[in-house]
Amino acid sequence: MRCWLFAGIWICSAAGLMGQTSREAYRQDYDAWREVHGNLERDAGSGGATLIPQVDRAAARVAAFGTNRAAYAKAAAQTAAQQRQILQAGTTRLSPDLAPPALAALVTGELQTVTKTITRFAEDRDRGIQQLRQSLERERDALAALNDAIQARQKAVTTTTAAGTALEQVRIRAAEMIGSETSALSQNSVQLEKETAAWAAYYEGLAKAIQLANAPPPPRVEVTTVAPRNDNGPGIPRARYVGAWTYPVSNGVFHGAQPEFVDLVVHDTNGHADGALFARFKLSGTATDPLVRFDFQGDFAAAPLQRFPLMTSEGTAGTIELIPGPAFNLLEVNFVADPRQGKINVGNFILVKK
Amino acid sequence: MCSASLAQTPDLTALEQTAQKRHVEWESQAKSLEERLARILPCDTRSSAAIAEVRALSDARLAALSDYMRAASSKAFAETAAARNLLSAEERRAVEASRERADAGQEQTAVDIQSDGLVQSINQRSSLQEPQKLLEQIAALIRQRTAESERQADVVEKTIPILRDLVAKFEARDAALQNESAAFEAERTRWSGYYSARQSRAQTECSITQIGAPGPGPARQPAKSPAKASGKAKQ
Repeated sequence: MRCWLFAGIWICSAAGLMGQTSREAYRQDYDAWREVHGNLERDAGSGGATLIPQVDRAAARVAAFGTNRAAYAKAAAQTAAQQRQILQAGTTRLSPDLAPPALAALVTGELQTVTKTITRFAEDRDRGIQQLRQSLERERDALAALNDAIQARQKAVTTTTAAGTALEQVRIRAAEMIGSETSALSQNSVQLEKETAAWAAYYEGLAKAIQLANAPPPPRVEVTTVAPRNDNGPGIPRARYVGAWTYPVSNGVFHGAQPEFVDLVVHDTNGHADGALFARFKLSGTATDPLVRFDFQGDFAAAPLQRFPLMTSEGTAGTIELIPGPAFNLLEVNFVADPRQGKINVGNFILVKK
Repeated sequence: MCSASLAQTPDLTALEQTAQKRHVEWESQAKSLEERLARILPCDTRSSAAIAEVRALSDARLAALSDYMRAASSKAFAETAAARNLLSAEERRAVEASRERADAGQEQTAVDIQSDGLVQSINQRSSLQEPQKLLEQIAALIRQRTAESERQADVVEKTIPILRDLVAKFEARDAALQNESAAFEAERTRWSGYYSARQSRAQTECSITQIGAPGPGPARQPAKSPAKASGKAKQ
């Protein structure tokens, strides 16, 4: 059962992860985890079952931290890969065939012809011929200017070609250097996910070890035909979940969307829980509807962390986790619903008993 | 953002093909222009029309070339912008990598402390040996990640100077492209000037000879035939 619980925390955290995350967010998760974790290992030597809720909370925190950080690493790797694509493709270079050298030869030939004709008419005093010569001189000047312009452009083309070649050399070098790193970067999130899974296994093992050490000696005769539904695990009374709960007016503790108010009611009928949550959050991100309303029900589990399926007022499915807080009148709530346009689908906060 | 701007760049291949087509069309007519003009009387309207036709083909060639160069420059400038963005991102990544290296060190220390605590507790509860093994595995994973973080941070640091050089090369290429575009525009103007001068010469040849001019009365016979003289000289 505990195995499912820890796996559930991990999967739930992954599924409930918001689309966007940041380094600051996962570092907050880290700090929260370390704070909740405290000195569990040292206390494990002498502590009893009362340590179990702390183990559960630490497991939930490290799962949130791990999944957030892996998602951040994955997003960072994807962004890097996208940005580095510029290095994979050859850079733009102008085609050299559009203004071939034959163009200059054509103009040069024409210039020579016109110049020869001018020379031929140089000594001719005929008025008409002089007019023609002047016209030819203007044409010669235009051709000479054109010839200069063609040479200037060809020089510019040579410079551009050299710049393009130099650019390509550096691009290829950068692509070779960064190319292998892009795949290494994408492996970071895989490594982090492994660590997150390892932490889940660790806390599960730690809780088992503590429970094992505190387990009463086995009864000599065990006649259990039906598993009691209301077995709530070691030392966690049902009253830690049941009742009316609210979000404190000031100094509320939350992670993610900030609640403005939350009303939660949990009923217990022979080990079967049913409840309703109504909340309003401060809008942020892509959410446009501040209200969240859902019902949930299910059997109380033999574990401190209670997890029930929920159904929102719009018919969206999800899960809610109820985790006893550090004090008797505190209850941590963690819910995740399927994403829906404009709706808040993830919440994590601590409520106080009314 | 960058990929979007690159995607909006016109099809360079199509523009290049159009420019090549216009070049071939102009070149075939331009090369034979003087030969054709030599066989037409100066005032024959076909003379002026032939020059005007080649000029139109020249304008079309230069316009197509201009479209191609503008599109190629636009694409090139977008590449440079993307390279600048990449450099900024990699510089940020270098900072990030160093922070991650520090984070990994912090996590390593935390796990070492946990491990020490657990070793002490095992003396009181042997059942904690199993979690101790799991914690050792986690410590190994973190050590592995720390080493990889350090390696990645080193690579990023070495990459930055290369990317700076790359951006400089992109900028040099862009400057060269801008110069080439300016040189092309200057040449374009000169081509226009040349065809104006050529058309002007044809008009002069007609005005001084009036050979082949339509209209009333016979054409005047000049003392010499400069049109043919200049035509022959060109051949």
